[in-house]
Amino acid sequence: MSLLLALLEDMFFAMIPAVGFALVFNVPVKALKYCAYGGAVGHGLRFVLMESGVAIEWATLAGATTIGFLGVYWSQRFLAHPKVFTVAAIIPMIPGVYAFKAMIALVTINNQGYSPALWASLIENLTTAGFILSALAIGLAMPGLLFYRRRPVI
Amino acid sequence: MGKRLTEPEQRAISRLVIEVGQRLLQHGAESKLVSDVSIRLGRALGLDSVELALSASSLVVTTLSQGHCITTARRCPDRGINMKVVTDIQRTVILAEKGILDALAVRKRLSRIEPFRYPPWLVVGMIGLSCAAFSRLAGGDAVVFALTFIASATGMRVRQLIAHRHFNPLLTFAVTAMVTTLISSVGTIMDWGNEPFLIMASSVLMLVPGYPLINAVSDMVKGFVDMGIARWTMASLLTLATALGIVGAMSLVGAWGWL
Repeated sequence: MSLLLALLEDMFFAMIPAVGFALVFNVPVKALKYCAYGGAVGHGLRFVLMESGVAIEWATLAGATTIGFLGVYWSQRFLAHPKVFTVAAIIPMIPGVYAFKAMIALVTINNQGYSPALWASLIENLTTAGFILSALAIGLAMPGLLFYRRRPVI
Repeated sequence: MGKRLTEPEQRAISRLVIEVGQRLLQHGAESKLVSDVSIRLGRALGLDSVELALSASSLVVTTLSQGHCITTARRCPDRGINMKVVTDIQRTVILAEKGILDALAVRKRLSRIEPFRYPPWLVVGMIGLSCAAFSRLAGGDAVVFALTFIASATGMRVRQLIAHRHFNPLLTFAVTAMVTTLISSVGTIMDWGNEPFLIMASSVLMLVPGYPLINAVSDMVKGFVDMGIARWTMASLLTLATALGIVGAMSLVGAWGWL
């Protein structure tokens, strides 16, 4: 029961940034609610998978793939490219904190000199950010990689 | 292909094809979309084939019709991500493909597409809430939520004001990160909320170049490796500029939340 509540809370708080960033990307008004649904479903799925012990990269791939297929479905109904819906929807899963931690470690190595801890922070965060980001982009591309190989989605 | 195109007709269609490609590239479409949509428009308007050479800041198009080729190039300075423009252009091309629009009608429709923007204050409020939601997802309490909202909404307003004056995006990102971190570091210094670090970490997440990064990886996956690398480099530089802003603010106030 508490897991279900936590899931609902997670999905709700993932919807807000999906819509917020959709505004920054100037997504058409009618597409905004699909960005919200996509954000909730993708982040919710990732939450459930991570709770059951799946690593963040694989959970992210599963979430992004789901959003990718939803995007194709909406894309054909709404006559717009899937990225119109999907990129805003995956924004809550973007590894921003990892990317910034890596860059801040880089800047600090320059300021304070090399230390194994800083170097480890740079490499570990950069690697994690890179893998999560690849999982996101490949997940979104999955419908194209599997089914729409030689024809456009719309 | 049915009717023969005269040279002026081919020239006019070539201009339309490259305008479509240019505008898509300027408003943040991925390379595969830019090339697919331009080629489809050319074919729909009666060209035999369209060849595209994409680079990060310019576009070259060659159109072929009955052995005649016309090549033209355009610069594509960044105009900011705008999915409304991308959607409108793609719908125009689909209508041309269905035979509903001819070249003249396509030109009319394209000239009517204006970059639509949401009201700045709505964006400020929603981005504030978005970053606050990130802090909540990371496990912050109500105090963290409120402070993150204030820091990132103020930061977003600063970002709009700077960007409006056409400063370099790297500079915009660094200054915005600095202002945002200065405000959010109040929480760390005063030790407010359950995890004051989350305020600093979440409020700058509005500066993660999500769209360029995703486009970079998609481009590389779909065979546009050079475009992907260019976008990846730009996105990394924006992240580095943001990090410089954060570090600058942290050394000013002496709140080393990130380390």
